[in-house]
Amino acid sequence: MIRFHPSNQQLVNFVEGSLSPAVSIMVSAHCDMCPLCQRVVEVETERLASELFEENLLPAREEASGFSFADASPRYSTSSLVSSSSMFDNMLANIIQMPDAKSVDGKIQSRGTRSPANVSSGSEADTHKIELDGRVFTVPRTLRRYVGKTGNWSSLVGKLWQAPVDLGNQGVANFIFMGQGGSVPEHTHRGTEYTLVIDGEFSDGLNKYDTGDFIFMDGQNTHTPRADAKDGCLVFSIVDQPLHFTSGIARLLNPFSHLFFR
Amino acid sequence: MLVGIPLEQSNSAIKPKECAVEMSDYLVAVADKRCKRSFSRVFNYFAPRLRSYALKQMGNEALAMELVQDTMSNVWQKAHLFNAEKGSPSTWIFTIARNIRFDMLRKLQNRKEDVCSDDLWPVLCEQTADLNEAPLDEQVTLEQIGHLFEALPSKQQAVIESIYIDGKSQQEVADELEIPLGTVKSRTRLALQRLKGMLHDSE
Repeated sequence: MIRFHPSNQQLVNFVEGSLSPAVSIMVSAHCDMCPLCQRVVEVETERLASELFEENLLPAREEASGFSFADASPRYSTSSLVSSSSMFDNMLANIIQMPDAKSVDGKIQSRGTRSPANVSSGSEADTHKIELDGRVFTVPRTLRRYVGKTGNWSSLVGKLWQAPVDLGNQGVANFIFMGQGGSVPEHTHRGTEYTLVIDGEFSDGLNKYDTGDFIFMDGQNTHTPRADAKDGCLVFSIVDQPLHFTSGIARLLNPFSHLFFR
Repeated sequence: MLVGIPLEQSNSAIKPKECAVEMSDYLVAVADKRCKRSFSRVFNYFAPRLRSYALKQMGNEALAMELVQDTMSNVWQKAHLFNAEKGSPSTWIFTIARNIRFDMLRKLQNRKEDVCSDDLWPVLCEQTADLNEAPLDEQVTLEQIGHLFEALPSKQQAVIESIYIDGKSQQEVADELEIPLGTVKSRTRLALQRLKGMLHDSE
């Protein structure tokens, strides 16, 4: 059962689009797995939309056309109203010249970074799954596109495996698999660490986590993640600063943790 | 002024609920019949409201109008993706605007991370993912590090061990070994450089 969720404020900020891209991914992937948070996001989106477009009366006075000067809010000068009105007229005229998306040769224009030329020729279903050692994991919708941006698995130490995910330059994302008894050396965080449990359970000396749990850690938390269940545990993790190992030989990793648990 | 498209009177008197039904019908007409008249009603209602949202978000008239234009273009071109059963026109149009704003800000802040709004809120989702092979990152294992550590000269080992395993400060190490602080610093630096070099060679 999911016990750890993003905070309400994080969900609201997610809906507003004001979280950082990396944190947005984590919240979004959690929502893929958590009907409860999904519902909160839906309600919050409706609330925000109606607040912006239905309840907010001020802009109604400057309808694109047909506004009355008498209604004009005094902070806008008459000339700016006129110019914004003609700007809207031009905009409308331009837009309705545009063909609809279906007729543009099936191509969808997107502001995103992808172009149709990059579309994979591989089977669609393959990109939804992660394979390790004969086991296959289905990843949440949000993370699917990153399956193709995931490097090879490498053994860290003991029963710990990691595959880096290239997100660009903000924070470093990894899929981490802890086999039964696998453990990450005790560490704290110079920055923040977000972890989403994709499949399985683990504990870290602070709590026990289950599939779907959303875990936030920063410099105030020191923990030692460890998976004890037979099936091990797959997590997706994003850190914005290298981890700081706090005990034993693992400390030696600190000068290199930027190459490592990056 | 548009030729052939009568401009609408203000919609401001319409109650939200009725407005949602009415706007929803217009969107369906745009999707089914490319009805310009219906679109101009949707436009006249939403564009000014979007502009005031966009001004707050972008803080600049030109960017705000770009956001309005992109949002309304998407509404015109992708009206067939609107589904009244899933939510109101306001909600749909808000999510489009929010997504465009997210991508615009990301670009403006010159952030290179490959996160795009479609991944987070697939409201206009008709795309399939691409599969760019990510280059293999350098990987280091604990065993590897331990092994390489033993290959360091003993003086460097001693310094590194005190600092990174015992957690001592460089000054403490200097006092303990009765050597100048500068020597501790240079040994540390040399040792790390050497380890780094060995890590590269062992790739």
